[in-house]
Amino acid sequence: MELFQYASNPWGQEVLVRISWSLFWLALGAGVLFVVGHLALRGRWQGQHTATAGGAGLPEKIERHGMGARLFHWVMALSMLVLLITGFLPQIGVQFSWLTLHWVFGLVLVVSIVFHMIHATVVLSFSDIWVSGRDVKEWLQGLRHDLTGSGEAPPKPGKYPVDHKMFHHAATVGGLAAIITGVLMMFRIEDPIFPRDPYMYSDGTWGVIYVLHGIGGVLLVGLTITHVYFAILPEKRGITRSMIKGWITRDEFLEHHDPERWDVGEGDADTDAAPSAAAVSEQG
Amino acid sequence: MARTYHGTDYTPPDLIAKVTGKARYAEDWRAEGMIFAKCLLSPMPHCRVRSIDASEALAMDGVHAILTEEDLPEHGPMQETCVTNEPLFEGQAILAVAADSETLCADAIEKIKVDLEPLPFALDPLQSLREGGSNARTDGNSIVREVLEEGGRPQMLVKETKWSDDLFADADRLPMGDPHAEWTFGDLDAGFEAADVVYDVAMYHQNVTHHPLEPRSCMAYWQNGKVYVHPSVQSIPITAGSIAGSIGVAPTDIVLICEYCGGGFGSKIAGTVNIPVSVLLSKMTSRPVMHRITRYEENYMGRARPGFQAQIKVGFRKDGRLVALDLYVVQDNGPYGIQSDMGSAGTVASLSYQPENMRWRGVSVLTNTPPRSAQRAPGGSQVTTLIEPLLDRAAEELGIDRFEMRKINAPDSDSKFNANQGGLTCAYVREAIDKAKELVDWDNAKALSRKREGSKVTGVGVAVSSYTAGNFGFDGLMVMKPSGTLTIHSGVGNLGTHSYSDVSRTAAEVLDMPWENCEVIWGNTAKHLPWTCVQAGSMTTHSMTRAAHAAATQLKEKLQQIAAKDLGGSPSDYTIGGERVYHRSNRSRGMTYGKAADRAIALGGVFDGHEVAEDINPVTKASAAGRAGQGLMGAARDNYERAGSVYSFVIGYAAIELDTDTGDVQVIDYAAVTDCGTVMNPRSLAAQLHGGGVQGMGMALGQKWTFDPQWGVPFTHRFYSARPPSILDVPSVMKAGWVDEPDPHSPVGAKGIGEPPVGAGEAAVVCAIRDALGGHDFNRTPVQPDMILNVIEGRPDHYRPFTTHT
Amino acid sequence: MATIRDMIPEFELFQPQGLDDAVTLLERYGEDAWPLAGGLDSFDWFKDRVKRPRAVIDLGAIEALHGVRSTGDGLEIGALTPLSEVADNAEIRDKYGILAQAAGLVATPQIRNQGTLGGNLCQDTRCWYYRGGWPCYRAGGNICYADTPESMNREHCVFGASRCVAVNPSDTAPALLALDAEMVLQGPGGQRTVAAEDFFIGPAVDITRMTVLRPGELLAAIRLPASWAGASFYFEKVRDRQSWDFALVSVATTMKIEGGSVSDIRLVANSVAPYPMRLREAESQVRGSAVTEAVAQAAGDVAVVDAKPLHQNGFKVPLMRNLVRRALTEAAA
Repeated sequence: MELFQYASNPWGQEVLVRISWSLFWLALGAGVLFVVGHLALRGRWQGQHTATAGGAGLPEKIERHGMGARLFHWVMALSMLVLLITGFLPQIGVQFSWLTLHWVFGLVLVVSIVFHMIHATVVLSFSDIWVSGRDVKEWLQGLRHDLTGSGEAPPKPGKYPVDHKMFHHAATVGGLAAIITGVLMMFRIEDPIFPRDPYMYSDGTWGVIYVLHGIGGVLLVGLTITHVYFAILPEKRGITRSMIKGWITRDEFLEHHDPERWDVGEGDADTDAAPSAAAVSEQG
Repeated sequence: MARTYHGTDYTPPDLIAKVTGKARYAEDWRAEGMIFAKCLLSPMPHCRVRSIDASEALAMDGVHAILTEEDLPEHGPMQETCVTNEPLFEGQAILAVAADSETLCADAIEKIKVDLEPLPFALDPLQSLREGGSNARTDGNSIVREVLEEGGRPQMLVKETKWSDDLFADADRLPMGDPHAEWTFGDLDAGFEAADVVYDVAMYHQNVTHHPLEPRSCMAYWQNGKVYVHPSVQSIPITAGSIAGSIGVAPTDIVLICEYCGGGFGSKIAGTVNIPVSVLLSKMTSRPVMHRITRYEENYMGRARPGFQAQIKVGFRKDGRLVALDLYVVQDNGPYGIQSDMGSAGTVASLSYQPENMRWRGVSVLTNTPPRSAQRAPGGSQVTTLIEPLLDRAAEELGIDRFEMRKINAPDSDSKFNANQGGLTCAYVREAIDKAKELVDWDNAKALSRKREGSKVTGVGVAVSSYTAGNFGFDGLMVMKPSGTLTIHSGVGNLGTHSYSDVSRTAAEVLDMPWENCEVIWGNTAKHLPWTCVQAGSMTTHSMTRAAHAAATQLKEKLQQIAAKDLGGSPSDYTIGGERVYHRSNRSRGMTYGKAADRAIALGGVFDGHEVAEDINPVTKASAAGRAGQGLMGAARDNYERAGSVYSFVIGYAAIELDTDTGDVQVIDYAAVTDCGTVMNPRSLAAQLHGGGVQGMGMALGQKWTFDPQWGVPFTHRFYSARPPSILDVPSVMKAGWVDEPDPHSPVGAKGIGEPPVGAGEAAVVCAIRDALGGHDFNRTPVQPDMILNVIEGRPDHYRPFTTHT
Repeated sequence: MATIRDMIPEFELFQPQGLDDAVTLLERYGEDAWPLAGGLDSFDWFKDRVKRPRAVIDLGAIEALHGVRSTGDGLEIGALTPLSEVADNAEIRDKYGILAQAAGLVATPQIRNQGTLGGNLCQDTRCWYYRGGWPCYRAGGNICYADTPESMNREHCVFGASRCVAVNPSDTAPALLALDAEMVLQGPGGQRTVAAEDFFIGPAVDITRMTVLRPGELLAAIRLPASWAGASFYFEKVRDRQSWDFALVSVATTMKIEGGSVSDIRLVANSVAPYPMRLREAESQVRGSAVTEAVAQAAGDVAVVDAKPLHQNGFKVPLMRNLVRRALTEAAA
């Protein structure tokens, strides 16, 4: 399978053009394979967690995502969906006028991510979402436990389970690659914002930009599939609800999170102080 | 002279072959075992070949050889070669493949791996002249002639010419740094001082590919140590000498056959760059090799007219007299040699308008674009088209009739011109203008000026165009056979103008021969051709009628001598007529030409060509030796007196209709009147006047080069995209006229006419557009509908005064 | 690989006698197949080795694709009918003169004898960057070489650009849109018809194709409806050269006039967009009113309101405006 598309430039030199569209099918396949695999093995680790005792003094509803975080998530989700549809459907034969939608929603995504970055910097805490050494250790422990049944189950996480954090990181990489290159690519098309100048960079640089855009795109295809899959799993309903309504129940909190690692305090469900940096990763 | 062949229409001997398809052009030739060649062309405008791996191609069945620069005879670093390791323009050949078929050649070329290192390239001369602007060659951006040691010969050197940024401060004015060449006559400042109106204008003239109808294909094979070359070239005997070096063969070992050439316009004067491909591959493979050039390749291997970026300052006195002209030309030279256009531009301007004071300056800048060469009125057509509208501008401002304006400034037989203020053999420009006024019914034609009907507005334009028209000192060769047939050996190439045969008519006229009994031999050096001028510079008709006249006169003298020898008396007692030489007092005392030929063979020596005059060229001597003993020979050099340069003149008149809604221009009427001396062949003359005019109209209205500036690659490589004019772009009926005053410095009086019609057509159309637009000057060619519409609409256009290759 | 021009590479040539056979062959060879009509577009591609199909399906021998036939509702013209025949056909000249005129202005007499109506409609764009084999968007690359700050784009589009700025070059297409013609397409799934207006697509929808023809599908015929027969017509093509040249801008209009006012009108421009462009706004300026100079002027103005010229082709805006005005005035006259 070819990974990249090449072309011969006007001087007969081979130049990188973009990723091979077969990578889209690869990402799609990988996503579906993961879902199928997960579904098959899902029984093994269902209901393994037991609720942490205590929780007295905790409110009935514990805020997980404030309004700002939720708004960002859904704006981002919508634009991501439009971007993936407009980006890939024409390549697999569904033809429609996609480009304007694509860059308009691309800009929506850029704006929402900029908002998210400011919001995350000002309001949220990076440490909540950052994958630490301990996270990695616990993740490996969990993986071994889930797949082989050997060893102890890992301890419960704080606000964001490690897989959520890892999803966030992957989505960050894919998303940033796609939007940074995407903004540059707007110099290659006619749009009202960026003056068209295809010769801003050399052929080779443009090739890399297009490839990064493509890789970001296919990465997001896979991530979106798994993301949506988890969102609709019954056992993740609480988390999904929290991305809509903002809160999880006290029971869900006690069952899935370690109060030691996620200090929700005496929680005020009306404040917008809940972390939203993890929005992308919530249901990973 | 009893017979009057001069000035009468006739059927030239090649015509039937042409209209029946029997004429063989270069690519019509076949030879036993013939294989084909094709070139790999550079995709980059400037690069260096790092390596060539042809192993896969050479392993293919039916692929015979490849030719690279290493296989060429020794050559200098500045010489353009048929294949090269440092292409200087996109489309230049890097190597050639010989194979059983052209398809196989192409397939083999696709299998050759060529590693190229891109190098900086230059398309726009002005950009290259800037500090930091890229150079077309690794060692510079201009070729100059310099004398390196005192008393030595001038050498061609590549130099870097760069001008400081402050010269470029005004983008609407030509930067004018130190020129490569300049001359002045008179007092320029005083001239402008005396002028009542002065214009100082930035000008641009495009580059134009020649695109003759027949591409420069070539077939060659070797036999008994001689190489037989079938190229498409304008000149014949001289070409054998000029290509010898590039193929490493002595001129005497070259048999050059080119009976028909489908046009050259100056791009095939004495050889073509691709000739060595078939010659050398044929030597390598011991097979005849045909190298057909396609239209696309012709764009690259063919030649082009250099473009001009110019500043013209001109001053007129109230009475219309042009008193001062300051001309600065930056010439787009292409990558090789030093093109003559910019120099000719100065010469032609100084002749056509007789400025009282003039300065000419020129800089020729190398660019990575296909090579240039003379193109029909090189420099002349450009400068005529740039200056003529200025005459109209002045005429309008000073209230002078436009034809009158030209008459006021026209040269005559006593005029001087050029840096050295040399003279002319003759000039009858005012007479030609009067004739033109009459032909076009000027008083009524003027009414078309700015006449509006709906969206259509008409305009009329006139122009005076001049160009060189003759040379001297060449040889004539002819043999009167015992059969009574006169075989006239014409070294003139047959490029469609009929001059190869027209000049032979002079011999028939001198000898009072019926044309049916004359056989013209041409187009094959094996058939013993005399030393002949190049078919360029419009010099053929003048030069070779003189030569034919000299040889025929010599033959006539020999007839008289033989008659005197056999029949008594002195040669001067004898005269000729009715294919006989006879005694003036007794017509029956004489002999037929055939009998005289028999006698010549018997007498030998000077009579049958075993002895020839010392002063004829070695080429003619060899040819005479080849024909010696076959009859009564005339072989002589043109030693007729000559004083002054030979120039012909054409007055062009064009009427156009311009659609103000669309910018579309239709040429609705065209007339050309010439002073080209004695008219040889009226039908052919009219064809030259109109054909050249149409070529000029093409430059006026749209034929051009377009390059992508980022990649240095042209798009206008074929007839569709290069847009030479079509039959529907020119009037279906055009008028022609001539003064028919003989040149007093020639025994025949004829002058050449190939070149000046171009500038006449081009400038007249540009002037007519100017007229229709109420006096708007584009100062730029071609003038296309977009430019016109933008002017009408008051919209800005995309080009600056010197934008090139657009 | 070196660039070779003017040398057609080998391909397998098929000359089917029936339309079904042709479609079967096209389906069998898929992407490697190339349907050949008059060859004037095809051979340009082949000889420059830019397009290298493995199988060329010459449609010339398919009788059903030739000729002009009357139908219950107008005329049907086989796609392989030569342009000269379209230009000279008495019935077309009589009832659909605008098509005859447009066909008669294509290129040269030789090209009109060899070129077909279907070929003229299906031909690829003439953008010289694209046809030079440059790897642009339309050729599957990621750049438009024709729209850079210094590109040579005098002949490119002022409407409908989407990455690609090439124009549709067809002379007959605007006439057919103006006549509200219907395209009959034959494919593996049978026959379908689309309105001429919907037959052409822009790069926004598919940057590698000019029409809705899917791989394996052929344009079989063009149907001219009786409803526009004998209407008032105007066609004009402005070009650099009066022979063998594509339009800088062309305009076509069909108009029905009742009681001094325009009861119906179709107005189309070509060579201004990647597809022949119906000018609906301009049409509605005229519909229902008499064509006065002012109305025609207003329609011209409205037609170009959204034009977005490139750096060399600004002239197309006034040119199109003037042609629209002229077309309306002349058709109504």
